[in-house]
Amino acid sequence: MSTIVLQTENLTKTYRTADSSLTVLDDVSFTVEQGNSIAIIGPSGSGKTTLLGLCAGLDTPSSGLVSLMGFKLNKMSEDDRAYIRNQYVGFVFQNFQLLSTLTAIENVMVPLELRGERNVQGKAKDLLVRVGLSARMNHYPSQLSGGEQQRVAIARAFMTDPKILFADEPTGNLDEENAHHVTDLLFGMNIEQHTTLVLVTHNLELAEKTSRILRMKGGRLIEDRSNSLTLAKNH
Amino acid sequence: MLDYVIKVKRAAKNIFTDGWVWRMAWRDARHNFSRLFLFTASLITGIAAVVALDALNTTLQHDIDTNAKELLGADIVVNGDKKFGKEILSILDSTKLPQASEADMASMILFLNNNQSRLIRLVALEGAFPFYGEIETKPANAYQLLQADSNTVMLDETLASQFAVSSDDSVKIGKSTFRVVGTVSKIPGGGGIMTTFTPSVYIPMKALDSTGLVQFGSRVSYKKFLKTADDAATKSTLDKFGAAIRKSGYGYETVESRKEGLGEGFKSVYKFFSLLAFIALILGCIGVASSVHIYAREKREEVAVLRCVGSTGWQAFNIFFIQIFLLGIIGSVIGSFVGLGIQQLIPVLLKDLIPFKMGTVIPWTAVALGLVLGTIVSVLFSILPLASVRNVAPLTVLRSEQQSRAPHSKTKITAIVLIALFPLLFAAYQTKSIWMGIFFFLGLAAALGGLMLVASGLLYLVRKFFPHGASFVMRHSLSGLFRPNNQTRVLMVTIGLGAFIISTLNVIEKSLLGQVEFAGQENQSNTILFDIQREQKDGVVRLMKDNKLKVNQVVPIVTCRLSEVNGKPVSVLQADTTDSIPNWALSREYRVTYRDTLHKSAEKLIKGEIQQKKSGPDSVWVTISEGMEENLDITVGDSLVFDVQGIPMKAFINGIRKVEWPKDPPNFIFVFPNGVLEDAPQIFVTATRIDDQEQANEFQRQLITQFPNVSLVDLRLILGTINALFNKLGLVIRFLALFSVVTGLIVLAGAVINSKFLRIKENVLLRTIGARTRQITAITLVEYAWLGLFSAITGMVLSLGSGWLLTKFFFEITFGYDMLESLLIVVGVTFMTMTIGWWNSREVISTPPLQVLRKES
Repeated sequence: MSTIVLQTENLTKTYRTADSSLTVLDDVSFTVEQGNSIAIIGPSGSGKTTLLGLCAGLDTPSSGLVSLMGFKLNKMSEDDRAYIRNQYVGFVFQNFQLLSTLTAIENVMVPLELRGERNVQGKAKDLLVRVGLSARMNHYPSQLSGGEQQRVAIARAFMTDPKILFADEPTGNLDEENAHHVTDLLFGMNIEQHTTLVLVTHNLELAEKTSRILRMKGGRLIEDRSNSLTLAKNH
Repeated sequence: MLDYVIKVKRAAKNIFTDGWVWRMAWRDARHNFSRLFLFTASLITGIAAVVALDALNTTLQHDIDTNAKELLGADIVVNGDKKFGKEILSILDSTKLPQASEADMASMILFLNNNQSRLIRLVALEGAFPFYGEIETKPANAYQLLQADSNTVMLDETLASQFAVSSDDSVKIGKSTFRVVGTVSKIPGGGGIMTTFTPSVYIPMKALDSTGLVQFGSRVSYKKFLKTADDAATKSTLDKFGAAIRKSGYGYETVESRKEGLGEGFKSVYKFFSLLAFIALILGCIGVASSVHIYAREKREEVAVLRCVGSTGWQAFNIFFIQIFLLGIIGSVIGSFVGLGIQQLIPVLLKDLIPFKMGTVIPWTAVALGLVLGTIVSVLFSILPLASVRNVAPLTVLRSEQQSRAPHSKTKITAIVLIALFPLLFAAYQTKSIWMGIFFFLGLAAALGGLMLVASGLLYLVRKFFPHGASFVMRHSLSGLFRPNNQTRVLMVTIGLGAFIISTLNVIEKSLLGQVEFAGQENQSNTILFDIQREQKDGVVRLMKDNKLKVNQVVPIVTCRLSEVNGKPVSVLQADTTDSIPNWALSREYRVTYRDTLHKSAEKLIKGEIQQKKSGPDSVWVTISEGMEENLDITVGDSLVFDVQGIPMKAFINGIRKVEWPKDPPNFIFVFPNGVLEDAPQIFVTATRIDDQEQANEFQRQLITQFPNVSLVDLRLILGTINALFNKLGLVIRFLALFSVVTGLIVLAGAVINSKFLRIKENVLLRTIGARTRQITAITLVEYAWLGLFSAITGMVLSLGSGWLLTKFFFEITFGYDMLESLLIVVGVTFMTMTIGWWNSREVISTPPLQVLRKES
């Protein structure tokens, strides 16, 4: 039986101002099993990024529940959620989000160092070699191209052997060639490490590479379909 | 389903055990130090100012303590303005202590080698003076030569070099001619500011009478120097003989009283230094808070990423806290040593203003103060901005506009309380008075409140009277003042505070320097002749007329003392320790004049009536100068009894005059009416104006030849000396105020950089939709011009209030300011705000919009 790594139940997020309230996510429920890859798609303002943020424990819902690796995130403090992220989660962002003051290898080392682990340089080097950046390990983000920065970010995301990887428009800031390279890397490493992938994207071509597609509109989950072609390919 | 929660197990690490935060602190900082330049610069200037000024205070105090005996030259100095008679001499002889004598008076000297003359302080010495310290002369044996030969003289070295006099030249003093045996570079009791006004000339005591200078009315000061075995012996001697000395009409001074006197003299200087240190440090604190705020803001995204990958809020906080803390220590060390360097420099600037050579010892207490204070400031004033780092939401990585959650944590509340207390406690420490601390603190709070009120009022007015018809640039720059999330109020308060402090310093400087407003205006006398005997009066006036000089005044002077105040004998008042009348006011010799008019160019009647002789028994009604009536605790209608050369004369106060002392001298404390003192022994003073130096030289030469005892004061010479001295003092004040100005500018830069982030996006948008660089530059400049102008005006207006309060209650001097300089400060601050604003926006202005959009996205 497959293990459920992510589960949401009646997830709602409402922003309140002095005289009004705005519901950006409305009663969303779904589960994700270990090793699956899912894409969250939908138009701008449909609630994709909000959903990703809640699933990853970057924010807390107004109501409903999120369970990540069995941990009820909405009942945890921010620091406890940070611990869960460090133990089980990897991230890839549209804007790469590398620490500008650290070199490529230092950026990759950070998540494991945070756990208090030592001698993590070897693993970081292996990952950078894996993403094709063996010659750029000691470069700072400002000395790397966009594609290279995103590859460093992917290496960092896999540094902790995450159970689940959240990616927000990972190819959104890249040209076509780099986008293909990054996509191949992301999905390839996902399969190699048997990681669960949750992907937010506008790019339908990218979405079609996942095994399941969730379509959002107006804050609601309007479609949840399996991508049989990808499923077949992955299995 | 979701019916279980797994308890998170994680080991909490503190800052000392979490090696990762130290590694991250180093990694993040190694290429990043320039970003903390404002922080370090603020701290260094603030701490340097405190250390320099505290070290200077300590050194001055230390030097006064160590130099006091040498300043006096003896353990006890008995002094009086009458020659020591049999009674006092027998008292002093009975002490069986070693004695030396001195008599000094103002006199003219004629240099026979060049026929030039000058007013000097003639000092006649006798005995083994000094008992402490040395008389340093050139040649070294000049003092021995002087003691051996009664026709010899020594000159202050500045005087000798000014008139190109060397050994064996001759000078004429009074009726006698003396041979110069050397110059004096240092003498106990000499030096300091007074030497510059009236340089001293030294002769043997036995030669004094032969000069013929000591005549009726001559103002001679007599001193006897006594040496005791130790402080206890000084005390027992004064316990035994002090009362008798006073009873004989003499006073005495000890090392302790000289120290107190000097300390009192430097009190205003200490106060000013304390104020400067306070201002510089507060500005430094604002600079620290402002720069850390900018830093924390720049680090927001970095923190969000760290939070995403599992860092706790405290870990993120600790990374930057470690950086700030260590840099704070480095800044404190640098600031302390910069302060010490400046402290070593200040004695060079002050050397002509104080009567002793200032030491350059290193006061380590000041260094310790700098280190402790720097560490406290860097921690205290960075905690609030850094605390925001703890609350950066990890969601910021997805949405950059995501607001941080900012709960009112205990850390924040504690920091706010400590920050509020800090200026109060520091000011109290600096001024050594909790009330002064509260006064400084309230002044600062009032200034901040005032600035905040004006900022809010300005925003209200701009909204209400927005010039919709104005040009695009004008409208856009004005709208910038009240755009959402703009920091107009904060910027106005910060920039306004800088302007306020700079302007307050300017007002205080003007007020301090304004204390010496000297004559020299058209038609005012610039040459005073005094010690003219009654029989010489007509001859001197004739001599003036022969030299085509206008005789502005011929004023009679009668010397007298007080013997009763409001029916109480002076001796009773002196013995009464409960009254508030100072002893000097009761025992001094008063030089009074008589006339029936006001001396209109320098006097104004502010209470009662002018002096007059009334009919009846109580006929003598005099006027007194403002301030003196407070010292003597009398007012209009009160009675006094004067001892006029042995004859008692009852008088009543008829009015109080406000006297502008430096104007058109001579001026007097007491003025009698005509018809009372005409027959009393008296001398005369006359005044004239000489503008031509050659004419002045010739007149002085004739005067000293025909009337050797008459002295002449050349006010132009004194005016020149005062101007030179105050230029020097002004330089010192400006030099010290520079600390505050530099720190103020750093705060200003911080405030403008702080607002940069909000303006970048707007400029990018304008560029994207087609605004030209010139337009964006104009909008930026005009917006910062509004900001700078309104802040500076607010600061300046508030500074007039604070300057008035400080001059009246703190420095106790007359308020004064220079409108032109105040306006220059407004223009300067506005210009600097514009320049700094433009400088920090130039990258955004000149970069292609796409590049900026990418960077900002």
